This record gives sequence, C-alpha cells and structure tokens, in this order.
Amino acid sequence: MGAPGLRGLCQTPGSPGGIAVNMSDTQWPRFMVFQQMEAGQAFVHQGTVHAPDIELALLNGRDVFVRRPNANAMFVVPADLILSKTEEEIKSGWEPGNPETGGEAQAYLVFGKLNHAMQSEQLGDVQAVSPQDAMKKALQKFTDRVVHMWWVFPAGAVLASGDKDLDSMFKPVLEHGFKNQANYPVITMMRQIKSKGKLED
Amino acid sequence: MDEKIKPLLANYLIAIGDDELILGHRDSEWCGHAPILEEDIAFANISLDEIGHARLWFELAASLLGEDPKTFPDQLAFYRDWDKFRSIQMAALPKGDWAFTMLRQFFFDSFENLRLEGLAESAYPPIAQAAAKIRNEEVYHLRHTAAWVPRLGLGTQESGRRMQTALEALWPFALQLGVPLAGESELAAQGLVPAADALRHKWLEIMGNAMQEAGLAIPEIGVPAVVDRSVQSEDLRQLLLEMQEVPRQHPREVRW
Repeated sequence: MGAPGLRGLCQTPGSPGGIAVNMSDTQWPRFMVFQQMEAGQAFVHQGTVHAPDIELALLNGRDVFVRRPNANAMFVVPADLILSKTEEEIKSGWEPGNPETGGEAQAYLVFGKLNHAMQSEQLGDVQAVSPQDAMKKALQKFTDRVVHMWWVFPAGAVLASGDKDLDSMFKPVLEHGFKNQANYPVITMMRQIKSKGKLED
Repeated sequence: MDEKIKPLLANYLIAIGDDELILGHRDSEWCGHAPILEEDIAFANISLDEIGHARLWFELAASLLGEDPKTFPDQLAFYRDWDKFRSIQMAALPKGDWAFTMLRQFFFDSFENLRLEGLAESAYPPIAQAAAKIRNEEVYHLRHTAAWVPRLGLGTQESGRRMQTALEALWPFALQLGVPLAGESELAAQGLVPAADALRHKWLEIMGNAMQEAGLAIPEIGVPAVVDRSVQSEDLRQLLLEMQEVPRQHPREVRW
C-alpha cells in the first residue's frame, strides 16, 4: 500500500509553492484539474475540485472527471497559484510589475484559451523567476495564435498521475458499459404501463 | 475440474460477491448525502464498482453451477431470501457517520486487495482473469480510503474521536474477514483460492501499522463478533427488504 503522508486536514500541501489554508474557512481550497485524453496530446483544463490537500485533489479530480470520457494522464494545481490574464487585459496595456524580482528561474506551464467554446489547453512552458515574468515570457513566446485567456503557474506546484497509475485510475473506465439514457425511454414505458397495465415486449 | 469442487468454488464466489453487493449497496446510501460533493461522487463510483464486482463473481458462479450467467446474478441479488446470503455482517451494518463508512471501506478494501492478489494466481483461469480486472479498481479504492483514514484519524480532535469510536464498533465485525470460508482449505489446497490463514496474518499486520499511523488504537479483541457466514443479521434483512422491494413486486415486468 502506498503510505499516505500523515498530513492533517488543514495543513499546507508539501509541494513547492504550496498554499496556506485559511483555517477559519470551512470550504476546502480549490484545485484546477487538467487532463490528457491520449498520450502525446496537450493537457486540457477540465474543471475544479475542492480538496483538503493536493493528493486528495488528484483523487477527487479522477473521480469527478474521469468516469467518462477516457483519460491517459491528469494533474492538479492549487487554483491560487495560477496567474490569469484575459485578452482584454493584455490589449489594454497590462505590464508585469517588477517581473524580474523573484527567486531562481523555474519552469512555468503556459495554458491558453484558444476558443470561447473550449477549455484552456497547454501551449508549452517557459523558464521564469516569477509568475509575472512567466506571463511576460509566455506573451513573447506564443505569438502564433489568438489567446483569449492566459494562465501561467509553476510546474513544480503540480501533482500529476504517473505511468503506474494508468491501470488503476484510467483504464477500468474503458471496460465499463455505460448505460445510454436513450435506451431508457422512461416516459414511453410509463405510458405503456398506464394504458395497458404492463410493458410491451 | 473435479465435479465435487465446482459447488464449493461457486459458493466461495457467491460469498465474496455477497460482500461486494451488500457493501456496495450500503455505500450507495451516501449518494446525495456525503459531506462534500467530490466525496459524494467518489463514493458513488466505489459503490458502482463494488456492485459490478459482485456481478462478475456471480457470473462465474453461474458457469460453475450450470446456470445462465445472464440471469443468475439478478436471481441471487433480488430473489434470494436474506438468510441465504453469505456476506460478512460488517457489510450490512448501517452506514453510520463518514468516519464509520470510510474505516469500514478501508478494512474491506485492504482485505480484498490481498485476496485478489491470491485469486489473480488462481489455477482456474476465469477467476484469475476476473481478479486481475477487479484488482485495478480495488487498488484505486484502497488509495482513496488509505488516504482518508490517517487524515481523519489525525485531522481534528473531533475527526479523531469519531474514527476511534468507529474503530471500536467495527473491529469485532472486521475480524470476520479473516475467518476461512466454507470449503476454503480444500479450494486452497488445489491452488484455486489463496489460503485464509496467510491472508489473515498479512491483513492484521497491515491494519496494525495503518491504525498506528492514523493515531488510532485497535481494541484488544481477538475473536470476531460472528464467525459463521450463515448467521445473518436484522440489518441485512432490512437492507434487502428495501433493495429487493421493486423487483419482487414486479418480477420480470421491468426492464433495467
């Protein structure tokens, strides 16, 4: 059995850049969930889960989003660690304030919303010393597409599923025969029962 | 396979399938009532998985008994009287609070993972194949419950108190997991199922460590509250009254 870390419910996640949890807030912190459908494809934003820490956020992400459709990999990141800028903010002259201040350069993942009807997807990554710096570098690097909303966050703050998780987290769902609601014409069935006292064969 | 062995093996599979079915049904009672939405969905998933495992074991039992694997699982689940079930009594205990549910699931998942490791090596290939398939899901269930048990045990004073209370109520019933099933030694001798003693020892050792890590004290009880799986509880009778009510009122009338 994988020994879980013995963390209390409200402690700071151990990952780099982990967020402090407000003990007076009864709501758990939010984590963003990103999913890769097939090996080699870009990771796509799936949604949000609440969790007491990042390990349970990954499990919650799987339970909420992977039942269907299929997935090859998943990662979660504390929502508070995402720096987000919209196309409008950038156009109206957003400038990073002191982007060079920060620690050592580290990798930041860059996500962009390319279409209003679609979720953000991964564009790539940049090396930067701060979130502001990462945003600035992302704007300089990914110029070939119109991005409606930009997200950057430290790659080191992410908790991702590994290859060994494929069998237990993502494969079983492929073998489940999900019931299609179209096969359950409940209203028609109820009409038959009411008019004839039973279902027709 | 020896014709005399077939019914023994079928009864073994029905017993472990009953555990899955009854626990899965109890887990389903949290649907819409869990303390947080994400856990509500997680437990609904676990519940569906367990009931799916029951169906797999019942289908295998059907083929050993010469029954129709398509209809036999429903026969066992919905048209069998409560005193014919062979589930452990722990599975039918009312769902209690979240600590109780999580700890019961953890006890069950840990034991089941060990049993499935053994069944994946079964000399009867259909069992080995089913066990390998089920195990993928059980590894994940165990990861979920093994993550929650120490967090609840060490989380707050209240969560720790609830977990200790749950442990004291559950432990005598959990020990029934380690009681050999009818015919188990004969089946184990033929390499069809794992030996009960080895499973029990390994499970007790893992539980000892896990409870210690979660800051919980196992009560000093070595004897299961109930040994014989043919002894069933009022809790099970009540559970089945509800679970079997609709199919029994409308036998063969309703298509699922």
